[in-house]
Formats: sequence, C-alpha cells, structure tokens
Amino acid sequence: MTETPEVRLALVLDELKELSFVAHRDLTAALPAIEPYGAQAVARWAQTGRDLFLHDRDGGKAFLRASPRLAQEVGAIEVWVEQARGFLTFRGSWKALTAYLAGLPEAVRVLGAEDARRWADVGIAWARRYPEGGAVFFETKVADLADGRGFAGVQEVLDPLAALADERALPPTLALAGAIKVRALLGAPALGAWLTRGADILKAGRLRGETYFRLEGPDSDEALMAALPGFRTAEHERFLMLVTHAALSLSPMLAPAGLAPGTNPFIETDGRTLFVPPAFPTREQALAALLHHAGHLRFGTYDEGAITRLFAAAGMAHPPLDADQRVTWRPLFALFGADLLRFQVLFDLCEDFRIDARIQALMPNHAARLLALATTRPEGPAAPYFDLACAGLHMLAGRAPATALWAALAAPDADLVTSWTKARALYDPLTLPALTLADRDAAYLPGRSPNHARPVYPRAPSRSQAPESDVGADGGGRAEAKATQPAPVSAGHDPDMELAPEDTSGSGGRVGVGRPQPAVTTARRRRLRPPGEGLPYPEWDYREKTYRRDWARVLERDLTERDLACARTLLANHAPVLGRLKRAIQAEKPRRLAPQRRRTEGEELDLDATVDYVVDRRTGARPAPRIYRERRALRRDTGVLLLADLSTSIMQQAADGEGRVVDRMKAALLLFAHALEEVGDSYAIAGFASKYRDAVSFYPIKDFNRPLTTETEAILGGLSGRLATRMGAAIRHACVRFGESPAARRLLLILSDGRPADYDDGGDERYLHEDTRMAVKEAADQGIHVFCITLDAAGAAYLERIFGRGHYLVIDRLDDLPRRLPQAYLRLRKGA
Amino acid sequence: MRGLIDRLRGVERDIVQAPDAAQGPYYEPQGSEMAIFEAAWRRRLPVMLKGPTGCGKTRFLEHMAHRLGRPLVSVSCHEDLTSADLVGRFLLDGESTVWQDGPLTRAVKAGAICYLDEIVEARTDSTVIIHPLTDHRRRLPLEKRGLEIEAHEDFLLVISYNPGYQTVLKDLKPSTKQRFVAIDFHYPSAEIEARILQNEVEGLDADLAARLVAVAHKARALKDHGLDEASSTRSLVYAASLIVAGLDLMEAGEAALISPLTDDVDLAMALREIVKAHLIAA
Repeated sequence: MTETPEVRLALVLDELKELSFVAHRDLTAALPAIEPYGAQAVARWAQTGRDLFLHDRDGGKAFLRASPRLAQEVGAIEVWVEQARGFLTFRGSWKALTAYLAGLPEAVRVLGAEDARRWADVGIAWARRYPEGGAVFFETKVADLADGRGFAGVQEVLDPLAALADERALPPTLALAGAIKVRALLGAPALGAWLTRGADILKAGRLRGETYFRLEGPDSDEALMAALPGFRTAEHERFLMLVTHAALSLSPMLAPAGLAPGTNPFIETDGRTLFVPPAFPTREQALAALLHHAGHLRFGTYDEGAITRLFAAAGMAHPPLDADQRVTWRPLFALFGADLLRFQVLFDLCEDFRIDARIQALMPNHAARLLALATTRPEGPAAPYFDLACAGLHMLAGRAPATALWAALAAPDADLVTSWTKARALYDPLTLPALTLADRDAAYLPGRSPNHARPVYPRAPSRSQAPESDVGADGGGRAEAKATQPAPVSAGHDPDMELAPEDTSGSGGRVGVGRPQPAVTTARRRRLRPPGEGLPYPEWDYREKTYRRDWARVLERDLTERDLACARTLLANHAPVLGRLKRAIQAEKPRRLAPQRRRTEGEELDLDATVDYVVDRRTGARPAPRIYRERRALRRDTGVLLLADLSTSIMQQAADGEGRVVDRMKAALLLFAHALEEVGDSYAIAGFASKYRDAVSFYPIKDFNRPLTTETEAILGGLSGRLATRMGAAIRHACVRFGESPAARRLLLILSDGRPADYDDGGDERYLHEDTRMAVKEAADQGIHVFCITLDAAGAAYLERIFGRGHYLVIDRLDDLPRRLPQAYLRLRKGA
Repeated sequence: MRGLIDRLRGVERDIVQAPDAAQGPYYEPQGSEMAIFEAAWRRRLPVMLKGPTGCGKTRFLEHMAHRLGRPLVSVSCHEDLTSADLVGRFLLDGESTVWQDGPLTRAVKAGAICYLDEIVEARTDSTVIIHPLTDHRRRLPLEKRGLEIEAHEDFLLVISYNPGYQTVLKDLKPSTKQRFVAIDFHYPSAEIEARILQNEVEGLDADLAARLVAVAHKARALKDHGLDEASSTRSLVYAASLIVAGLDLMEAGEAALISPLTDDVDLAMALREIVKAHLIAA
C-alpha cells in the first residue's frame, strides 16, 4: 500500500457512498470522534468499517454507530478496531459484534484495557465456534463475571467451562449464566462438579439439561443442595422437628422452598406447612427460625378467629378468600398505599415480638439466641427497624426494662389484633423512614421473615393441638389433604407470585412480600413426594463416587389383591413336588426343642447326670457338677427373607411353557413358604416395585414372626406385576427388616426376572447396577448374605458383577422354578 | 465394730426384712394411689402398678410397705426368669437333695409384700404360677414337692407393668391382668416433681429444680418420636445430684438426661437444645 492515509479514507468514503447511503452517513457522522487519533488510525478504522459492512451489513453499521462512544469511553482505538476485524473471519457475526461493542466500555472499566482485550479474545473465539454463543458471552455482564476480582474472576468461570467444552462437548454458552450464579452461591471450587453433572444430564436429555443450566428443575435443585454451604435443612429436618415438637408441642409440616441465591433465608408459610429454605448460614439461625415460625402457627398468627378480628379491625367484614379458601392479605395492606412496606415491616415486627415472647416463656434462651444472631446491623433505612426489633428482644432477654409497647405485646392476652394496633401506632408518626423492597429484607432480624408472603389457610384455634400432632400418624388422611392442596409455590403456581410488588391494586394475596420465584420450567418436571413420606435411603452414584443422600424413598405398602383359589390350585398342581421336598427336609431336620442336659445350672436336676455325679464322687473322682437340666429351646439360627421382584415384566407370557411368568413365581413362592414351614427356619417374604426414586414400594407379604396363614397364601396367589425394579433401595430396606429376625445367619434371597432399572435412570443401566452392587456390599457388611435367583437367561452377564461370583443362580427353564427355588435355599442353608 | 465387720465381709441380709421403723422412704403422693393401695391391702387384693419407668412405682411400694409395717420382697423379672427362680428348686447337698425356697415362697410363708417388678419380662410359666395366689385360694402350689403352701394372712402380691414399653408380643395375658387391682402412675406434675427433686437432692435450689423439671416436660413430648422412654423423675434426680456434686450444668444434663435416653444422633441433638435452653440461658 503506497497511498497516504488520507487517500485511503477518501477511497473508503467513495466506495461506501456508492454502496449504501446509511453506511456512508454513519461513517461521516462518526468521523469527527475518531479524527483526533491520527490519520493512520482513522484510515484503518474506516477500512474496517467498510470491510465489516461488506462482510455483514448489520455488523458494519453497528460498528460505525458504536465507534464515537467507544472512542470517547475506551480510547485505544487501534486495539478495538483490530479486535473488530476478528469478526470478519466468520459468518453471521453481527449479533456478536453488536454485543461486543456494547459490552466493551464496561469491560474496560472493570478489567482494564489489557484484560478487556483478553476477555474479548475469549468471546471472539466463542463466536467463531458459534456466532450466537459470542453474543451470549458479550451480553453477560463483565462485573458479574469478574466478581470483583478482575480477570482472575473471569478465568474462574471460563476455565472450567473451556475444560468441559473440550472433555464433554458441553456448549459453554448454555452454562455461562448458570455458572456465574453457581459460583456466587457455592464458590468457584464447586463449579467443576456442577458443570460435569450438567454435562451428563444434558447428554441424557437436551431439555432436561437446559433446565438444569437455568438452575431450575429437580436435577438442578439436587445438584445445588448437595454442595450447598451452611446448615442444610433437609439433612437436619428431623432434628429441627424434634426440637420444635419438644419446645412447642407442635410438629408443623415442612416443605422445601426453592433455592434463592444470595438472599436472606426466609421461612414462609401457608398456615399449614412451613416452606423452609434449603440452607441457613448457621445451625443457630435454622433453629431460631424454625422455632419462631412454628411459634406463629402455635400462637395464633394464622388462627381463623384472629384473622377475622384483624380484618374487622381494619374495617373489612370478611377476610378475602381465594379459590383454595386461603386468606389473601393484599386488601389489608392496600390500605397503606405506596407506604405499605413500612407498615408491613412494623406489623411483622410487632407480631414477631409477640410470638417470640410466647416462645421465650417455653424456651428461655430464645431471645438470647435471636440477639446473638443479630450481629450485622444493616445500613440505610432498614437500620432503625432492625434496632427497634433488637430493643424488643433485649427486653425479652431481661437486659432492658420493659416499655409500654413491649409489655402490651408480651401480655398473655395479646393477639394478632394487638400487634396490628401497636403497628398502627408506630406507623402514624412517620418517625421511621420509608422502605423500598430492596431494603426491606434487611429490616428483619435473622430468624424472622415476612409473615404474609403467601395466602394462608386459616387455622382452627390453637386450643385443639391434638389433630395437628396426629398428622404424622394418619398417613392416609394427610395424603388426601395433600392432593387437594396446590403444589408448593416455588414452582411458580401461585399467580400472585408473578405480580410486580408495586402493583397493589386488585385483591390478590401477595403484597410486596416474598421474593420473585423462578418461572415455570419448560422441562418435564415431576414433583417429588413431600419429605417424610416413605423411608429415605441413600443411593450410590458411580459417576460421582459418592452416595446421594436420602435419594430413594421406600414406602411400605400392603398388597391388596387376594386369590386363595389360585393359590390352592397351584399347590394342588405342585403337590408331588412339595411332597418330595418335605420328605427331603424331614430327613435332615434339625433336632429342636430338646431339653439341654448336664448343665451347670437349670430348672431342675438331671437325674441321670446326678446319679453319675454321685457315683463318681463315691469312687473318689471329682466330677464337674453338671447335674441340671435346662428346658431351653435351641435357637433357630437361620433366617431368610425372600424378596420378589414384582415389576411389570413378570406379567409376560412365559417363553417356554403355558401361562405367564408370574404364575411360576406364585407357585415357587408358595412351595418355598411351605418348605420353610417344614424346615422351621424363621423366614419372611416381601415384594418390591418402583416408580421413580421417591416411590420404591416394598410389599411385606409375610413377616418373620408371623405364621403362614391362608391370608398369606391368598396374597401369594394374587401376586401381579407392576412398575420397575429399583433393586438397591429394596435391598437396603430388606436389610432393615432383618432386624425382626432373631436368627444369627441371615440370608436375603432375591427372586428377579431382569436387571435393575427404573423410569428415571436416564437410560444409564450402569447407574442402578452399581447402586445394587453397593447395596449388596452394605448388606454383607451387616452380616447378611445376598443371593439372587433370576429368570433372565442373560443374567450371567451382569449378575456376577452385582452379586459376586457364586452368589446368583440363573434358572433358564421357567417350569423348574417352583421346584428349584426351595431347593436352592436348602442347598444354601447347608453351605452357609 | 459392727460397721467394720460389715465393711470387711460385705453386708448380707435376708430378703425378708421387717422394715426399719426409723427411716421411712420419702414419697410424694400424686393422687389417690395411697388410699387405693391401703384399701386393697385391707382386703388383701393383689395390686398392679402401671406406669412408665422411673416414675416412682418402686419407691411408692417401699413407702407403703414401711407405712404398713410389712417386709417387702422384690424380684426384678427378666426374660430368663423361670418359675423355679420364683418358687424354689432342689439343690444337691452332698449326696442328697435339699429344697430351697425361692423368694416368692419365702414371701408367701412370711406374710411379706412380694413385688414382681416388670413381670412381663418373665417367661409365661412364671406368670401362670401366680394365678392361684391371686384369687380367693391364696395358695402357692409347689409341684415338685407335691405341696401347696397356704399364704400367710398378711401376704400381698404386687406386680408392676409398664404398658407400651413392651412389644405387642410381650403383653400380660388378660386373664392375668384382671386378677389385679390397678393403680396408674404418671410422671408427677411440675410442681410435685420439683418438690421431689428438692427432697431427694439436698442443696438443690428451687429455681434449678424448676428448670430441670421444665427440661423433662419438654423431653417427654418427644416420646413416640423416637424416644422409647422419656426422661424419668429418677434421671432428673440423677442430674440434680450431679449438679449439686459440682458438675457443670451441661455435662450433668448430658450424662443424666441425654446419653442414657437415646443413641439416636438427631434426638440427642434435640434434647441437648432443650437442656441448653433451660439450664444455660437466663
């Protein structure tokens, strides 16, 4: 190039004039801002603008329009001009380029010129791979990415993303926004594991993976909870409930609220259930919060009568109810117009104090605990509220004299209306500053929360606590109540949740309280059963090499079908087999119930032994005085639990004979039961099936200490298949059932027809195989031998890995099953 | 001198002992239990004391025996306890056998109050042998000797029974239960329990007694939530004794009110919160 910069600029101008009026106009308009950087720079800039325009019209125009601002805010025109040329190397670059130009000033401000260039290089690399991705990258706020630590902060997020993109082809754009939030929530070290998990989920299903990376849906909740810092409520639910029950004689239902990164852990309630955040910063805060909110339920914040009186005091005849018969609070607070937050905080402050005073009477360290937690005084308008609340607690803890306000609220006859009246009195003089929604949260002491965040079911007056504490015992009734109740709100089912807090007209429930909830996820989402239903068991995750805590839930259920006729027919058909079995058993029957002779102590003298003893003595020997007889039965020492797989597959037509697989299983189980009666060993029979990890059904058919009855036979006759095979959880539960057996040698016999699988294993066979293998190992650690008898001819391929060599038996001729099942047991029993 | 010999040889005392008139065991009545017992005693009706562990059943009986001036023979039943352990057995002495009376036989002969503590724990054969003693016959058959012993006119049979503590498999037969007059025991009210504590533990101040009682009342709410046996008055007495002996409040609570009650981690943590709330705060 020999032309001078001026000539080159003129050339570009001419060229653009021909090509596009708009581009020419934009360039001319931007020119004055660029000119101070010298003719060389101007020419290069103009050429770049033209090249970009020729490459992609929108990109070029965006470049020209953004240039004056960049020149003014960023300077260093050579740098960004050269970087913009990077967008010439791939198609469809305009969107990424636009985002880059828009984001650059902030990047320079946050990172400095040098690191901003490195930041942009990464973005261009992303855009080159996938232009849309570049846009996502540049649209991400640099300040969030850097997290106050400059480029190091940026790398913290980008490096694991890059690593995962290489290793598992995880699209970084998908995970970027989530990764930033996860870092804020869990810290950088947890990021890698979170991304890896997400990559696996993404492989299992695109939609599921996307939901995960939006931090929505059950997969995300679980992954985040597993790594959540602080005192996790799910793990300590029982402890918290026990303390609450002991202190207040009340066991409220707990339900998990969604994850809300970075906000105060507030407990919300609908008057029945407490929605508890997944974690609290400390155990003390969790305890204080749970006691406090259970106190609201116990001491009448949501009592029907109190609510009616409250609305009457506010001049409203009836508390407004929504479609679910829940009281909505909006009209109450709408009285205060724009200043509603100020009143709300004061109302909560008075009511919270009233409740804490009642709790203090029962738990003398309650106020002191709350005060110990209230260490960080907020700044801004929330501070005076915080101080006021603290002053009340100081009085409760006996560290300050009572004032009229606190004394009135702590009086035994104070109720919700008292709090309302006192809050009105505090509200009117305007001595406390107005609050914004952002300030509001800080006005609450740790452990307390806004009380009217959700519409509530009014409670029957708290005198009758009996039905409340019985809820746990009456599982059926609760399930019914659950069904009519709308799902917990974190999934976004409460329409009020979506309303802007400022919008206070209308008669909805939510009034500037609570916090925005995530939108409904598009992925297929199944709500887990509420905690407390079913017995939780861990599950082994071979990918993470850890147990997933309380992952599977086992519910003990009764089989309802009975078919005694079928059982009778089967027994009659197999009578010859049973007869042979019985004879074989009798031949080697153990001696039982024999009185033990020649003992050193016992109920009575053993005459033979005594005569021997006396004779020996007379002949001058010194025999040991084993002269008593003890009538103690020999303890039966083998116990067996037969665990039958009742999954759908057993309903299949038998391949090599008439009838279905289940008919042979029935016969086998009946013969097994009768054989065991003959042997006299303690035995139990149970079945299992599963549908998702939270519904593993365990069907006890015969318990160890129950005799075989016609009822048992009828159940066996009525067996049918249902659902899937989550074997690990069933094994773990069966091991627990062994607690009933007095036997020293314990055998868990599994009768199955296929491999462990469930609806939610994501097609990963290995996952449940590995979990079953771990469950077998755990059983062995408890001294329980596990042996599997399978009807799956291909079973040898995987059973050895799960149960170990020699710990399984493949019965490939279905007709043999009834005969061979009891035989297998007898053989095992001998060998064991 | 006597004290020294006792120390060297240990004190051996016959199981049938007339009560010492001077030192009556302390008992704080909770209701009409004393009146019921005295009426039953006058008509020599067998008595069943029902109630949870450590609520004062045994102490009540000691008190009543002392009050009525009758010796008290106590047998703690266990699952290996057979009828021979109660009635007696033949022992070998040189080359001949001698019969040795069991504690029940001794009590029947001497006209003592015989107390079979936790009778359900014993084997069923031992519960059956008490049947003829509990009705109008008032006789104890000694099958092995071919004898029947007529009960002394002052003999009284008392059993204790802790409903709910046993499994369903281990319950008294209705035919056994209905032979007794039942007296129900519960943990005493807060006020009485605090008084008991102060009486049992010398030097315990009223405030601490009240706080310990509050702990127990909260802990008792956890029964059926994994706690098989709630904090008893006895464990409160232990806790108070440890505190008066100079042990730290929390440590005493741990040693007497938490550890003995449960091995369940969550439960122990919950109990610890309760103990802390009442003993440490304020």
